[in-house]
Amino acid sequence: MHITPEALFEARRHFLKLGAGTLVSSTAISQLLANTPLDMSLTYTPDPNPLKLSPNTFEQITNYVNFYEFSTDKTAPVKLSQKMKTDPWSVGFFGEMKTEQMLRVDELIAKFGLEERIYRFRCVEGWSMVVPWIGFPLYKLLDYLEPNSKAKYVKFTTRHDPALFPDQAKGIFASIPHPYVEGLRMDEARHPLTFIAVGMYGKRLLPQNGAPIRLVVPWKYGFKSIKSLDLIECVESEPLNTWQAIDAKEYGFYANVNPAVDHPRWTQSKERLLGKLTKQATLPFNGYEKEVASLYSGIDLRKFF
Amino acid sequence: MKPLLVLLALLPLGLAYYKLESAIDPIKMLYNYTGIGAITLLLLSLLPSTCKRICGVNFLRYRKTIGLLSFAYALLHVSVFVVLDSELDFVTIFEKSLKKPFIYIGLIAFVILLLMALTSFKKLFAKLSKYHKAVYIALALALLHSFWAQKVAGVFEYSVIAVGVVLLGERVWAWKALHVKTF
Repeated sequence: MHITPEALFEARRHFLKLGAGTLVSSTAISQLLANTPLDMSLTYTPDPNPLKLSPNTFEQITNYVNFYEFSTDKTAPVKLSQKMKTDPWSVGFFGEMKTEQMLRVDELIAKFGLEERIYRFRCVEGWSMVVPWIGFPLYKLLDYLEPNSKAKYVKFTTRHDPALFPDQAKGIFASIPHPYVEGLRMDEARHPLTFIAVGMYGKRLLPQNGAPIRLVVPWKYGFKSIKSLDLIECVESEPLNTWQAIDAKEYGFYANVNPAVDHPRWTQSKERLLGKLTKQATLPFNGYEKEVASLYSGIDLRKFF
Repeated sequence: MKPLLVLLALLPLGLAYYKLESAIDPIKMLYNYTGIGAITLLLLSLLPSTCKRICGVNFLRYRKTIGLLSFAYALLHVSVFVVLDSELDFVTIFEKSLKKPFIYIGLIAFVILLLMALTSFKKLFAKLSKYHKAVYIALALALLHSFWAQKVAGVFEYSVIAVGVVLLGERVWAWKALHVKTF
C-alpha cells in the first residue's frame, strides 16, 4: 500500500488551504479531503500520570464497548463500525453563547492543542478500565465559545445518521431512543478534569470508541461520556439525558460514581477491572473525590444519583 | 447416547476455560457461559414431552440427563456469583440476595432446580415426580432473571422468552384439549 509521507501530506493540506479553494468548487475539495488517507497518529503532551495508573491494553479498550448505536453487544460494534466515515466531521455549537458555529474536528485540534489524560473509566454495569485518552479539556472550548449568563447546562448530542449507525435505522425496534443525549451542569462542564477526547493510545479514536470526538467525564459512570458528538449546546434548563429518559428510577442526571449508592438491580461497591479475574473496590467519584466533591457539597447524593 | 449428550452439553465449558486467559471481562464471560448454558438446557429439557405429543417421537429417556446438565450449569453460575463475583463475602452475598430482586429471583430458580436434582433418583422420583412441575416456575424465574440482569435486554433474552412461551403455550393447549370439553 502506498502511504503518503507525513511531510508531503501536510504540504498537500497546506496547498489546498492556500489557494485551491478559489479554483475548485467546495464539494470537490471535501471529496478530495475525504479521499486522502487520514493520518491516525497524533502529537500531544504526555500525562505525567501522578496517580501511577496502569492503562488497560489497546486491545482490551478497543474490543469491549457499549455503543448501542451499533449493537447492545460488547464486541459486535467493533466489526459493525469499521466502515464508519469519521472524516471530515463537524460539530455544531449552538444555544446560549456568543457566536453559534460549526467547527471541524481538525480545526478544534488546531485551536486547543492536544494532551494526554490517563483516566479511570467506570461503567454503571460494574466493569472498569484505565484509558490513556488524548484530547483537550472542555473548558478551553467553552472559554472560546463564551456561554452567556443564561447558559446553566451543557447539552451533548450524538450524531443522528442511520447510514452510520444501524440501530438508528430500526425505528421502534431500536435498542434505545435516538439520538443519544447527555448533559452536564455548567460548573461540571468547566471542571478541569472534564475532557473532550479525539484519540487514545497516541492515535485517533477508533470508530467503536466513539470516533471522531467524544466526551470523557472520569468521575461519572461511563454512560455520561457520550460518543461521536454532533452537537454541543449551552442551555438554560437541565437536559433530559437518554438513560434517565429510559428509566429515571435506575439512572439519574448526575450519575456520579458512588460505591455507597446501589443501582436498583445491582451493587456498585466493587468493580471488575477489565482483564482481571478478581474484583476491586470502587472509589467515591471514581477516585477523583479530592478534585470534584466540592461541586456537590450540600447535595443529597442518594436523591440526586 | 447419554455420554455423548453429556459430552456435547459440556463442550461450551471447555471453550470457556480455553478463552478465560485472554478474556477481557472474565467474570462476566463465565456468568454468560454458565447462565446461557443453564437456560438453554432447561428449555431443551422441556422438548422431549413436546416432541412426544406433537411428532410422536419419544425422547423422554433423555429428559433427566438434560435437566441434570441444566442444574450443573446453574450450580456453576451460582459458584461464579459466590466465589468470583462476591469473593466469598457471605455478608454481602446475603445482603445482595435479599435486596436485589434479580438476584433472589435467580436464587429461587436455583433452589427449585437443586430440589429437583436431589429428588431425581429412582426411589424419590417415584414419590415426588408430581412436584417436578415446579420446573415451569424455575424456568419463568430464570427467564426473568436473565432479562433483569442486562442493562437492556438483547436478542438472547427475547429469544429464550419467545421459546419459553411457545413451549409453555403448547402445554396449556394440550392440557385444555384433554380437560376442557368443547361443543
